[in-house]
Amino acid sequence: MATATAQASLLAANWMLFAYVGLAVALVVWGLILFAALRWRRRESSSAPLPPQFRNNFALEIGWTVLPLALVCVLFVYTYRAEAGVEALVPDPSVTVAVNGYRWGWTFSYRDGPTVHGSFANPPELVLPRGETSRIVLTSSDVNHSFWIPAFLFKRDAIPGRVTAFDIDPTTTGSYTGHCAEFCGYDHALMGFRVKVVTPGEFGRWLKSPAT
Amino acid sequence: MSAQAALQPAARADLLSWLTTTDHKRIGILYLTTSLVYFGVAGLLAVAIRTQLSRPANTFVNAHTYAQLFTLHGTAMIFLFVAPFALGLANFLLPLQIGAPDMAFPRLNATSYWLFLFGGLIVFSGSATSEGAAANGWTSYAPLSEIKISTGLGEDLWIVGVFLVSVATILTAINFVTTVFVYRAPGMTMWRIPIFTWEMVATSLLIFMAFPALAADLLLLFVDRHLGGHAFDPAYGGSPILYQHLFWFFGHPEVYVMILPYFGVISEIIPVFSRKPIFGYTGLVLAAFAIAGLSMGVWAHHMFTTGAVDDPFFSFMSFLIAVPTGVKFFNWIGTMWRGSISFATPMLFSLGFLLNFLLGGITGVMVASPPIDFQAHQSYFIVAHMHYVLGGGSLFAIFAALFFWWPKMFGRKLNERLGKLCFWLLFIGFNITFLPMHVMGLEGMPRRVFTYPDTGHLALLNAIATSGSYVMVAGVLVFAWNVVVSAFDREPVGPDPWHANSLEWATSSPPPEYNFDRLPPIRSERPVFDARHPELRPDA
Repeated sequence: MATATAQASLLAANWMLFAYVGLAVALVVWGLILFAALRWRRRESSSAPLPPQFRNNFALEIGWTVLPLALVCVLFVYTYRAEAGVEALVPDPSVTVAVNGYRWGWTFSYRDGPTVHGSFANPPELVLPRGETSRIVLTSSDVNHSFWIPAFLFKRDAIPGRVTAFDIDPTTTGSYTGHCAEFCGYDHALMGFRVKVVTPGEFGRWLKSPAT
Repeated sequence: MSAQAALQPAARADLLSWLTTTDHKRIGILYLTTSLVYFGVAGLLAVAIRTQLSRPANTFVNAHTYAQLFTLHGTAMIFLFVAPFALGLANFLLPLQIGAPDMAFPRLNATSYWLFLFGGLIVFSGSATSEGAAANGWTSYAPLSEIKISTGLGEDLWIVGVFLVSVATILTAINFVTTVFVYRAPGMTMWRIPIFTWEMVATSLLIFMAFPALAADLLLLFVDRHLGGHAFDPAYGGSPILYQHLFWFFGHPEVYVMILPYFGVISEIIPVFSRKPIFGYTGLVLAAFAIAGLSMGVWAHHMFTTGAVDDPFFSFMSFLIAVPTGVKFFNWIGTMWRGSISFATPMLFSLGFLLNFLLGGITGVMVASPPIDFQAHQSYFIVAHMHYVLGGGSLFAIFAALFFWWPKMFGRKLNERLGKLCFWLLFIGFNITFLPMHVMGLEGMPRRVFTYPDTGHLALLNAIATSGSYVMVAGVLVFAWNVVVSAFDREPVGPDPWHANSLEWATSSPPPEYNFDRLPPIRSERPVFDARHPELRPDA
């Protein structure tokens, strides 16, 4: 599955695992429900003799407790590893951007570099180099926001009074849209931004003259 | 029946007797009726939301109105409909199911109802203020809801109204637990009470643990707004994360307050229409308490994206809830297995519950995985998930309960043909509305937006979802028409029209004041069945 960042490939693998397991469980259980309801639908009048009045089956009940328990334990191991990989921070990111959410917009402040602003009509653009690690250091200056890039399969909340950080390793160049995902007042829906992943050479040139 | 008829007092249908009643059945019916009215209002708000979102950049309502719409929709559905409907149903049923004459504290019971009614009216009264009703979502996160930003009176009325409803809920839970523990009829041991009653015991214990946290959260917010507090204001060392912890310490158990009673409803209905005893009674009871216990330790899965909580712990605890929930599914299937299944309307809605809720449960396990939640959180994927749980699940069980217990409450059945039409409209409409929302979320549509760009398939998916919501409206209107039509049906149904199991079917329909003039012997969890089939009695 083609993904835009190294983290997104871990996230996508976890998505696919859960989607396939979930779909398999759903098909089995939906099948059992519909099979039971249709196979034993009442054809005769209500005066017919009662069906067998069994009440439990201890072995079955233990089985359908233990099997799902084992399944969720296995899923947890996978999900734990995926999350650890996604949240891992490298010691020396090549780019560090302080991202601030406010009502209603974003600023992107590059360490030793420019600060990017925007407007509803012209959303701010976060420029990142391909093949290098970028550190996003996130906070908010008023209420809770959430920094979401759907193509990266990732979001992190921007909360006033708290600073949180995560790394992005873009693997392909391209343009992506981002939104605020936490309701923050009337113009929450318009609080978008753009992400542009460029080659390291282009990124170096952009840092020197960010107007382009 | 003549003895019971003698117990029936002279027709006391006058308004004053309803306003002053302490009879659990009347309070139950008041609760149910009020919650259904709130449902109607919340449903209309949902239709307005779907109409606004029917196409990109629509201008049916503005951003200000839209925020009030989704705030009141969520508040009313959660605090004023799905949870209180269960309380109303249990008010009506609990004393009947355990063979008691009334609730343990009848006047406290009436107090709960009036607090609930006025709490809801106070929330809605915000609409009449100059800045409109509360507009911060049903979660009302601080610091957005602090007075610096939410200056309007609507937010205060929301706080006060929801606080009153939470007090009402706690009082009702005290009543339920006391009634079940103390007022059971001779022979009605704890291991013979119906599953619905067990689920209400588990629900009440959850209410004791969860709702005080909500009340505290709301009080702190009010103190912040008007008495100079700074609990949630980071400028003075307050913590927005604290608001979320308190809210979800209530809010996740609340999800189970809104679903355990309906597990109980399904567990009552499936055996009756399968003509079999409930499969795995003990397992169902233990599963209810396992769910209740685990649900107290999962709240921060609503906060995975904050980066401020121990994600793996809350993820694993959330995964574990799938196990007892799965046990319940298998027990319901086991109850149908080799049965004699009729598709009367209550059973149809119960099957709809099973099919819909299963998908909500599976997406629930998915979003309990933090790497999935990082994408799904606060997107339309979550909107789809929670509506499959509360709409496809609880709402379908609510209709199942209405069709099943209507004859007990009012002495006549709802029309079966209209009932089946109502089911199919709601089932098809529901899935058309909410299935596409999974994809909208994956395509990047955040929740609580009044407008969205025309990218990807969003325009098409939203148009489909909106059309489905209109089909659901048709289903609800068919139900309302059914209520009108059946009001003219004078054919009495007798005490036990469904050939059911539990004690409420041993008395007349509707039951007289104080419920019973005599009780059948209670030797299992289905005394009415035992009385009908003496040859199959456990001790025969």
